[in-house]
Amino acid sequence: MSLAVHETHSQGNPGQEHRDRENDGPGNPRDAAVPLLELRDISKEFPGVKALDNVAFPVWPGEVHMLLGENGAGKSSLMKVLCGAYRADSGEFYYKGERAVIASAADAQRLGIAVIFQEFSLVPHLDIAQNIFLGREPRGLIPGTIDRRRILRDARKVLDSIGFDINPSIKVDRLGVAQQQMVEIAKAISQNARILVMDEPTAALSDRETELLFALIARLKADGVAIIYISHRLAEVFAIGDRITVLRDGRRIGEVRPADATPDQLVRMMVGRNIDLSYPRNFAKQPGKVLLEVRGLAAASGISGIDIVVRQGEIVGLCGLIGSGRSELARAIFGADTITAGDVIFDGQRMTDGPDQAARRGIALIPENRKSEGLALLRSAGDNLVVAALRKLFPTGLFEPPRAFATANDLIQRLRIATPNARQPVGLLSGGNQQKIVIGKWLAAGAKLFIFDEPTRGIDVGAKSEIFALIDRLVADGAAALMISSEQAEICHVCDRAYVMREGRIAGELSRHELTEENIVRLGMHHA
Amino acid sequence: MRESAAASPLRSIPGVAVMLALLVGIFGTIAPGFLSLANISNVLLQSTILTLLALPMTLIIMTEGLDLSMGAVVTLTSLMVAIVSLATGSMLLGLAAAIAVGTAFGVLNGWLVAVAGIPPFVATLGTLGMAQGLCLIVSDGQSVVGIPRAVRDIYSATLAGLPVPVVVALIAYAAFHVLLYHTRFGTYIFALGGNREALRYAGLSPARWLMGVYTIGGLMAGIAGLLMTARMNAGHPTAGLGLEFDAIAAVAVGGTSFERGNGWLFGTVLGVIAVGVLRNGLNLLALPSSLQVASVGFLVIVALFLDGLRSRS
Repeated sequence: MSLAVHETHSQGNPGQEHRDRENDGPGNPRDAAVPLLELRDISKEFPGVKALDNVAFPVWPGEVHMLLGENGAGKSSLMKVLCGAYRADSGEFYYKGERAVIASAADAQRLGIAVIFQEFSLVPHLDIAQNIFLGREPRGLIPGTIDRRRILRDARKVLDSIGFDINPSIKVDRLGVAQQQMVEIAKAISQNARILVMDEPTAALSDRETELLFALIARLKADGVAIIYISHRLAEVFAIGDRITVLRDGRRIGEVRPADATPDQLVRMMVGRNIDLSYPRNFAKQPGKVLLEVRGLAAASGISGIDIVVRQGEIVGLCGLIGSGRSELARAIFGADTITAGDVIFDGQRMTDGPDQAARRGIALIPENRKSEGLALLRSAGDNLVVAALRKLFPTGLFEPPRAFATANDLIQRLRIATPNARQPVGLLSGGNQQKIVIGKWLAAGAKLFIFDEPTRGIDVGAKSEIFALIDRLVADGAAALMISSEQAEICHVCDRAYVMREGRIAGELSRHELTEENIVRLGMHHA
Repeated sequence: MRESAAASPLRSIPGVAVMLALLVGIFGTIAPGFLSLANISNVLLQSTILTLLALPMTLIIMTEGLDLSMGAVVTLTSLMVAIVSLATGSMLLGLAAAIAVGTAFGVLNGWLVAVAGIPPFVATLGTLGMAQGLCLIVSDGQSVVGIPRAVRDIYSATLAGLPVPVVVALIAYAAFHVLLYHTRFGTYIFALGGNREALRYAGLSPARWLMGVYTIGGLMAGIAGLLMTARMNAGHPTAGLGLEFDAIAAVAVGGTSFERGNGWLFGTVLGVIAVGVLRNGLNLLALPSSLQVASVGFLVIVALFLDGLRSRS
């Protein structure tokens, strides 16, 4: 099998390579063989994360360039750099062969780059025409006024050009998602966009709407517009992509043409992130009794038909792409979202009420946003550690500081929380120690099931290992854990089993020996 | 993105219209003399000052803001009219001073909110205190009396058969209607509350337009100051007390949403009249004025409650 995969070589000296390229020199700007936009060695770093690491690829006029990658591969950062929301730390852009700077939204607009975000940039209570021409309204006779007839006529023209038959004086808040997306595209086209960046444009569309979008994309292509299309759906990648760039860990892994690639090959390119896997995990010989059973669960948040089981002594992974319903499932189990069908049975009892009941019976939800949802940052480590256990520690309702202090100190020692003392405000502690405090808080309250939402987000490598050791000890002592994570390597390493979600449902379950990154990605994505 | 609830027949009638009809019906039945021509024109005349304030308050609330200083600033501008016209004998100079002071407070509010980034509630609470303090300083805590007749006559004079204050309110409404629905500024007001990012992406400066919105509020407080002094035939250091409350109430009752930039200017006018009818009706029933304040609060809660019910159904 001959595959046209061009693996990028790791660049020992990006500066050197960069100079070499300049010597080659960009071609004649009018030459048709020049890409519309070329990214060269674009890097963007955030504290602790290299979001983009020397990413380079050309975008040709009239092509649909698919960007593929897992959560956190760098797609969003790349998009933000392209639209001028972030400024690249290093690297260069060439527009039609000439060096260009993208330092602001205005720069991007001048180059004809328009980004269609998933969260639309439309104003709900203005009409379609006003939204398309926001900031560029045709002036009326009286200064400051808008030429209403012209704005409607111009809008009509733009909408016609993309084949969207709708009255431009309809307010945007009356439109469905697909129609709003069309308005966004119309807005971009009206600004003479030549490069459209679309972020999972079909995520909220029906099949029929998707077809219409693809027809529009074909039309734009024919006009020479380049489309950078970010997708998680492999079927789409093969249906409309002309070229596929795969990103992983902020790096460009390679570029393939759909005709030369197979879904399996793309999955292999996407997985295999470089993660330190020296986490301790003592797998139980045999799982204990069923602690959590979810039967036919559906919730108003969009999940449905969920059947899962978690036993004592197990760490069960919950995988899937962002937006697949993982966090929604966690919230539904915890009683934080309205359940529309099915049962949550915990420790043999059916859950009937909200988070208060869940917490009292022993379910702990350790949220992804530790700082805003898990902790009171200005309060001390001790206060945070006892806050969930107040009812248990002080049944009379009277707070006794010595007892709270003793409990907190005990936890600080047991969980090896690195804090000078229990009075230290948690905002001053490291991410790893903050996470331990959130866990300790629920431990004090007597939790038996710990639901983790991205437990290692923003935690450095050493602390991660400690967090996993802690979770391992928890389950060894008879608790159980349900762990949501986008870090598939971590899931594979520490979980007994995993469920993979897709579009609000369980797409499949993977046993310990089936648990590989490729299998997770395969189940989590749309296949051809 | 949330889909808006399906339209039902109930939703097509604005809540404020229903509420106003109910209020008129109730007071028409139980309050003696409520439906007389003299009383109705009195209600409308008394609603003019509130209209001048509720119109800009609508724009401010559409930007997810608030102006708590409005009542105190009106008191101050009213005192300016009284003091300057008393000193110079010129009503126009009094009005000019009032507009200058009002606009200055508007610019200050706008700067604090849009540029300094202070939450509107806190920023305008601060300027409320400043305006109140200035009122006491310029008036020495006393009423300013003996002002020129020309000022008082403004309130009782008619133009084309309509009282001058009503004409002023009508012009103000027309101006705000054009501003909100037919100018670029108006378009950006919708965007300031609905999606401020969209403005930024369009290369516009949200702060600049937001400052403009608060400045208009101050300007209108200046004009309202003239009507206030004319109506009282004096400058009182507490004349505008609580007017910001009535203005916010009128906007809320009128159906302007406190989020996502959804405003309705004519609803605000109906809201102003509803507040005026409520106060007038309770007055005719000889109920104490303390009860009026409570009832306006009650009106706001009922209006927002019904609104919540309707948008959920």
